[in-house]
Amino acid sequence: MPIVEPSLVEVQRTEQLELDGIDVSGDWNTFLRSRVHTDLDLKVLEWVRSQPQGETISRCWQCGTCTAGCCMHTDFGLEEFNPRYFIYLAQIGYEAELRKYAETIWRCVSCNKCVERCPKGVKVEEVVHSIGSYLEVTGMAKESPADRFDRAYTENLLRRGVLDEAALFQTYERLEGRKTPGRELFRLGLSMLLSGRLHTGPFAHRTRGWGKMRPVLTRLMTEDLRRRRETARGPPPGSGP
Amino acid sequence: MNPVLVVGGGPAGLSAAAELASLGAEALLVEKEGYLGGNPKRWHYSLLAPDLKPAEEVLGDLLGKVEGNPRVEVRLGTSVTAVDPAPPGFRVTLQGGKGPEGREVSAVILATGFDHFDSRRKFEYGYGRYPDVLDFKELEGMIHDDKVLRPSDGKPPKRIAWVLCVGSRDLQVGNPWCCRMGCVVSIKQAVEIRQKHPEMEAFVYYMDIRTYGLWEDLYWKSMQQYGVKFIRGRIGQITLAEGGKRLLATGEDTLLSRPTEVPFDMVVLASGMEPGQGTKRMAELFHLPVGPEGFITPKISDINPVDSGVPGLYLAGAATGPKAIPDSVTEGMGAALRAYQHARR
Repeated sequence: MPIVEPSLVEVQRTEQLELDGIDVSGDWNTFLRSRVHTDLDLKVLEWVRSQPQGETISRCWQCGTCTAGCCMHTDFGLEEFNPRYFIYLAQIGYEAELRKYAETIWRCVSCNKCVERCPKGVKVEEVVHSIGSYLEVTGMAKESPADRFDRAYTENLLRRGVLDEAALFQTYERLEGRKTPGRELFRLGLSMLLSGRLHTGPFAHRTRGWGKMRPVLTRLMTEDLRRRRETARGPPPGSGP
Repeated sequence: MNPVLVVGGGPAGLSAAAELASLGAEALLVEKEGYLGGNPKRWHYSLLAPDLKPAEEVLGDLLGKVEGNPRVEVRLGTSVTAVDPAPPGFRVTLQGGKGPEGREVSAVILATGFDHFDSRRKFEYGYGRYPDVLDFKELEGMIHDDKVLRPSDGKPPKRIAWVLCVGSRDLQVGNPWCCRMGCVVSIKQAVEIRQKHPEMEAFVYYMDIRTYGLWEDLYWKSMQQYGVKFIRGRIGQITLAEGGKRLLATGEDTLLSRPTEVPFDMVVLASGMEPGQGTKRMAELFHLPVGPEGFITPKISDINPVDSGVPGLYLAGAATGPKAIPDSVTEGMGAALRAYQHARR
């Protein structure tokens, strides 16, 4: 039988490719990646279990009732949104596969049909969000536009304790790699500034006593993030199931 | 009244003998091995599912009613080698240490039980070749003595896999039936190990989990309290990994639709139940019908599972199919009552 898939026949040049530490750069006409799963790591499961919203994960026995009624999966046709599968990947610790769903996993609309129907009392909606959190705090999820906006928003707020919308807009557009329409925006901003409707730059508002409040908040946030990252790396010995 | 012959000293036979004695009849308990207690005793079963009560305690209760009981004559290391009808009872020949001996009995209860499947027959799992591939009956003894160590280097295993349905539900070895015990015993072992050694990881490779009836509770607990992990797929082969230091379990993770190859320090095979040697021999000797599986078929298995169809001949325990200890004990009592009724007639 002739091979009709051109990519399997045409020679492909792979300039720099390393697999398992072996340099395999060169000409390939058929390149099949191994699909064998060799990774059983309980780190993900233990982290999710240790979270208040994730502790019911170990009840799951993979019957698929959640996915069967999931509105993202069925009604909205987002086939790759499969809560049963996410939970399974977390249960067996298949991080490489889980990473592919770092974006999709947040598409849950929290209709909670899964939680209502689960025969074993898994709080599927919460567990799925917890798995998503794991991907976030371990930095496995690629930063999305929403994440970048969050970052710009937080930085902006921390500066004076009050949001500076104009600066936020500028920062976010810069993070997205877009140019702000200069002249038009400048004219609008200037007229708003003069009429007292915009407070930005040196004219921005400021929360009273922010100089004292800011370091406290910053420290709290840094410590919280550090704690979450640490638990994601693995629970301390003896705290496991 | 002549004594009632009970063949087999496992839970069913012990229960039958104890029950006969309590009815005021004489029991002649014949056991081919040199001890009473059957498979649970032979393999040093640890805790019994689902109540996690020590096997010794359960057996001890039964043994206490039999050993030293003046109405029960125990003959160890003895087999039944011939039988002739002598209505209303039988005339049997016993072969023991002292040579053949003829006895008149008023009725016979066959409680000849099962044998664990010989896992070597499932050669792709490497049992008998790789020391760290264990049969779960051997792990029972290890857990019992609290010595869960790799036979190859004597070190405690970090990661253990259980492979269910070894020699069960498998036409390749000619055993299409379900052993009924493999799931619950494997899960119980995983729970015992996780209780004592929380640092050891437990994975169970399954096709279906059949912790039927009230045993479901143990299955749920194993996941929720003890963190036992379940992977849906049958292991295809076990080979050596990491220069022979570990075992590589290869199969399909059917929930991933993906091949899986994971190294383990120890692999435990849940070997099924086959008709015991004694069961086969007694079926021949008494000309009893056996099913395609080799277990003795009761005459009416649904409403009278202890009647063989031959007057005066009764069945109890795993001789008629895979059975749990409580079921075997109950059948032992039923068979004792039927034998007593027959003998009194």
